[in-house]
Amino acid sequence: MTKSDDAATARRDELSALLGRVAQGDRRALALVYEMTSAKLFGVCLRISRDRDAAEDILQDIYVKVWRRADHFNCDRASPITWLCAIARNTSIDWVRKHGASRLGLIEATERLGMDICSPLEVVMADANRAKIFDCLEALPANQRRAIQLAFYEGTSHSELAEIMQVPLGTTKSWIRRGLNRLRGCLQDE
Amino acid sequence: MNSKLTPELAALAAELALGILEGEELAAALRHTIVNPEFSAEVQEWRERLDPLGEGFADALPPDSWGAINARLDAEAAANAIGRLRFWRGAAMVAGVAAAGLAGIILFGPTVMMNDAARSVPQQATAVLPVAVAQLAGTKETLLVARIGPEPEYLDIRAIDLPKTPLAPELWVIPSDGVPRSLGLITPDGTTKVRLPESLQPFVVDGSVLAVSLEEAEGAPHAAPSRAPIATGRISSI
Repeated sequence: MTKSDDAATARRDELSALLGRVAQGDRRALALVYEMTSAKLFGVCLRISRDRDAAEDILQDIYVKVWRRADHFNCDRASPITWLCAIARNTSIDWVRKHGASRLGLIEATERLGMDICSPLEVVMADANRAKIFDCLEALPANQRRAIQLAFYEGTSHSELAEIMQVPLGTTKSWIRRGLNRLRGCLQDE
Repeated sequence: MNSKLTPELAALAAELALGILEGEELAAALRHTIVNPEFSAEVQEWRERLDPLGEGFADALPPDSWGAINARLDAEAAANAIGRLRFWRGAAMVAGVAAAGLAGIILFGPTVMMNDAARSVPQQATAVLPVAVAQLAGTKETLLVARIGPEPEYLDIRAIDLPKTPLAPELWVIPSDGVPRSLGLITPDGTTKVRLPESLQPFVVDGSVLAVSLEEAEGAPHAAPSRAPIATGRISSI
């Protein structure tokens, strides 16, 4: 195990313990969770909402949700940062679907897709199972991979996806469905 | 994959977890999560598969929002302690007044009133009537009707006109102490057969109020409502 693996494991354990304290109603523990994770979660809201003011509001909603739901966090089933990112992503997507976020710049954003996704190796080395989803995604045919990445990281809807990829809606829908099926197959393949 | 789901529904569950759905499809998928446990299990499986991809999001310099978050939690805690209870007590009283005006409209029944001494009922047997109804009316066109009994552990509730929203309707019973207890999520269109937990059966009696509020489906049944009720109605036996 390398030094950075040790650091990642220590951070994960610390976050899990803090979420346990948040579940008990410890507000100071939530302040520490904010300190440790707000850069990551703000990255999620900003990326999906594409609107700085909105992203700041969404960020607040996210930590209010974390406060309410910390008792649902189960460290045996998910890493704390995965759990937090899922709340951030779902809250951001809800916001975008409700408010119809400005999709200005979405197409340009897709050009740099892959560039500002951090290296999964860095983040998830310590856990082979979690790294596998990145390998499986990488192994998909290009169109299916791109469609799933746009949906996951940019929060695009079916219709936005068709517009960005400049193909009929039916085509992107079938890329998504076939891509997801292959992902599942790849993840189950031991 | 869950074999009880059609391929179409299984795909919809995956798309809901991915977050790509919009409009009618999104609303339909959210309805399935409420009424179809196999569907929501499939969504959950997909979330567990896809969520680790979230680690691939890059950081961004965050605002200093801790003060604002802390203040919101303070305000929420205060509201929990006083405001919500008062609001819901108020709702219970309003429901009483509304029920008086609506007493003539009963859509369920009439079922023969049974007072079978041999029937096995909880200790509050005198209070638990075999068949009771409630009509839940809200501000605009919101309307639901409920029937309790003849099986004491079931309540049927039919939504006739609920607002369209991605939130899920959650049913509450408010007995005389004014504290709402969740009876779980119900379907926004059609009839839901609600199984009443044994601990809550004594509360679902003549005179208690049923209320529906719109909540996030996740985490239901909740400990307390987070929003004002959209419809309330008092239970009365027939």
